[in-house]
Amino acid sequence: MIPWENCSLCSVLIERMVVKQELHFFIGKGGVGKSTTSALCAIHYAEQAHDTLLVSMDPAHNQRDIFCRKFSEKPVDVSQHLTVKEVDTDYWIAKYLEDTEKQIHRAYGYHTAFNLQSCFNVLRFSPGLEEYAMLLAFENVLHASARKDIIIFDMPPTALSLKFFSLPFITLVWLDELMKLRKRIYAKKEIISRIKLGAKSIEQDRVLTRLEELIHMYCHVRDHFISPDTHINLVMNCDRLSSAEAVRIKKRLDDIGIPVRRIVLNKVTPKENDTCDLNELDPKEVIRFPLSDAGLYGLTILNEYLKRFSPLFPPAIV
Amino acid sequence: MKIPPILRRINHNMLKIWRSADQVARAKAVETIEYEVEELDNIFGIIVLGAFIGIASPPIQLTLELIPVMEKEFETMIGKVSTAHDPLGELFSVLSID
Repeated sequence: MIPWENCSLCSVLIERMVVKQELHFFIGKGGVGKSTTSALCAIHYAEQAHDTLLVSMDPAHNQRDIFCRKFSEKPVDVSQHLTVKEVDTDYWIAKYLEDTEKQIHRAYGYHTAFNLQSCFNVLRFSPGLEEYAMLLAFENVLHASARKDIIIFDMPPTALSLKFFSLPFITLVWLDELMKLRKRIYAKKEIISRIKLGAKSIEQDRVLTRLEELIHMYCHVRDHFISPDTHINLVMNCDRLSSAEAVRIKKRLDDIGIPVRRIVLNKVTPKENDTCDLNELDPKEVIRFPLSDAGLYGLTILNEYLKRFSPLFPPAIV
Repeated sequence: MKIPPILRRINHNMLKIWRSADQVARAKAVETIEYEVEELDNIFGIIVLGAFIGIASPPIQLTLELIPVMEKEFETMIGKVSTAHDPLGELFSVLSID
């Protein structure tokens, strides 16, 4: 049996290699218009008859205000080819801790499991669990929406988004070190076993097996983030603060090896259209969303905006 | 030729003695390595499960992913806490130093 045979994310990724699917992440400073531009982008691709899923990963959940309707973990059809869902990170944290507790109760002696119980009440507030919950939700979205042509993620503001993207890279560094130490332990256990029991081989180390599975899983997530079918849309306005933050976001993503190929310039006035300086960001593609004089709420108004301004979206490959 | 019962018994007992001696010698030979493995297990436990005893640890999700398969390390770690007041005594007893 291969160690990652039961890994649901791996099976989804293998399926994705066969069924072509595009992923779009909309990231940027708070208030620049990530939710509005991601909604417009989703409506545009859905109008082109691509089966599109818009996922709100931002705990603020602005999509319900933009579409003027309630969304939840269960995807809701908004038009013929567009579905929207909201990710509830609290739900994913609670579910994950509950599943882990069940596994501990199955694997551990009663007293040890009982003693750990109190720790779990505190663990739900541990730093780092929120971005891991996002990763679990991401895995679930890929698993449940393998047939969608395009999945668009409306991401939370900079800090949490960057933690989310860094997670597989940082975790792999830890896993690598733990693997080295675990192999040292296993090699010594083998020596002991050889001397004590002769040729009889020792039992496979469950921790080593689990570490191998985790390394495989995180490598796949990392490869997913840097895949050419994944597009990071860096949303910004033509003002100094959002430009400066966009430069920092791009640098951070460049450092961990995730390319930003597309800049989404939102709320652009005719004057800014000519003067906005993007040299420092060196974008391959720029999508411009002109400033609207009215609030962009509801599917009808969003459609009207797209018809009136026709932002130049890159064609979908799927 | 039929072996007399007394000789068979002697042979059987000699084999038992030899096997016991062999087991003792093998156990003695790996005693130090076993201690080292237990120490490494303890270090691994502290690195991964440190959050439970207030020591900085890897990303919390790694701890939670590994904890279901680390009961032995968890017990080693808890056991070490009880001998923590006299680590040299424990080391000397493993190395047979009086």
